Amino acid sequence: MPGTTIVVTSGKGGVGKTTTVANLGTALAMRGRSVVMVDADIGLRNLDVVMGLENRIVYNLVDIIEGRCRTEQAMIRDRKLNSLFLIPAAQTREKDAVHPDQMKELCEKLQQDFDYVLVDCPAGIERGFRNAVAGAQKAIVVTTPEVSAIRDADRVIGLLEAELMKDIQLIINRLNHKMVKRGDMMSTEDICSLLAIPLVGVIPESEEVVVSTNRGIPLVHEKRSSVAGAFRRIAARLEGEQVPIPADNAEEGGILSRFKRLIWSS
Amino acid sequence: MNLERGVAPVQIRAQRDGQFLFLIDSSMPFQMILRYLEKKHKSSKGFFVSAKIILDLGNRPFRFEEVKALRDMLRHNWGASVVELRLGQHLDSFFDWASKQIDIPIRQIPVGENLMEPVVVRQTCRSGVRVEAPMDCIILGDVNPGAEVIAGRDIIVFGVLRGIAHAGAMGNRDAKIWALSIEPNQIRIADLVAVPPQEDRHKPKKYEVAQIKEGRIQVLTF
Repeated sequence: MPGTTIVVTSGKGGVGKTTTVANLGTALAMRGRSVVMVDADIGLRNLDVVMGLENRIVYNLVDIIEGRCRTEQAMIRDRKLNSLFLIPAAQTREKDAVHPDQMKELCEKLQQDFDYVLVDCPAGIERGFRNAVAGAQKAIVVTTPEVSAIRDADRVIGLLEAELMKDIQLIINRLNHKMVKRGDMMSTEDICSLLAIPLVGVIPESEEVVVSTNRGIPLVHEKRSSVAGAFRRIAARLEGEQVPIPADNAEEGGILSRFKRLIWSS
Repeated sequence: MNLERGVAPVQIRAQRDGQFLFLIDSSMPFQMILRYLEKKHKSSKGFFVSAKIILDLGNRPFRFEEVKALRDMLRHNWGASVVELRLGQHLDSFFDWASKQIDIPIRQIPVGENLMEPVVVRQTCRSGVRVEAPMDCIILGDVNPGAEVIAGRDIIVFGVLRGIAHAGAMGNRDAKIWALSIEPNQIRIADLVAVPPQEDRHKPKKYEVAQIKEGRIQVLTF
């Protein structure tokens, strides 16, 4: 059975598309699935940096499409997981180097050999976006609880719906539970009521993300991190498991709940 | 109308196909319009020679003498040709003139009801979507921030209105905006614009109506 191509997109830049792709890809591979991550951000590649694979790049996405190498030659195996691969973007080219039809063809080919093809979409709604979306059957829209990010996410959902994408799911990234409780940040409920697409997970705000990005090791490898837990739960939900999404006020409730969590995780 | 179109008695707009649209003000005396065009002709220094001009009367009543005078002036003085005459919604004067020409009274049959049909949008309008309706507009869903709904008459939103809504866009001040909840960053009815007050509007309610009362847009909550 062929796999699924999932595009991770957001419209606005800097909301965590690349981090999401890196962690989701790793989490799915840890569950034993074969995963290939495609960096579609040609000219501004950074998925390879987040995965810590920058020094292994020989060929890239544009090389595959222009026929300078075989698909397998451009695929880089992850340092820890045998079933996780990355196809990096070209850094010295521009988005026009790839046509949506070519991208669709590539995704269809990759689907034959892998359970999941994760496409990291560039910011914006121009050519790069259309390239990334072309071959996907499923879309994950990442947003942060900021008005500007939500506005762009809304626009992107509209564009995806216009492309007749049926399966669109939402990830809310960088939610600060304390700020939501104080009423200084939009809550999950507010965002979901506005965007009106199914929620697949909420990722809490954390400094660990920056550290792991700089080290080039996806945070999912860190067993105790709350962010890692959130990504693992999203991976489980993508595989069809029924894992409840904790409500905004459920986590970090009081001293007691924090104490309880310490016991559980040890 | 005057505010929307600026103060010039005749607005000249270049069209995409190289023709010029002359929009004649509806309330200005005809002598003023002629004088303005004469001045324009002198300052344009033959720019309009052999130009193709569309005359748009807007809401100005049709008067045969006026149109004829404009046509002759543009043809002989400017060296331009009038290729099209556009009439606005007030066609009564045109029918009066036509009936005098043929010496038979003309009765205008109201425009067919199907032209008056509302535009129905059966989904949420997301950011970047623009809906335009000649008459009423019904949205079965929300109108999200960044979306625009423009209607000639009323706008009915069966959901939350958070984007921009412009009812009575052609100048109909009786137009209303209905929504289950009106929480936009801007609301327009005819030529008026209103910004809602910065307060928590998440109170329980059945529906809300925005309409013009005493020259201001008011939102009533039910």
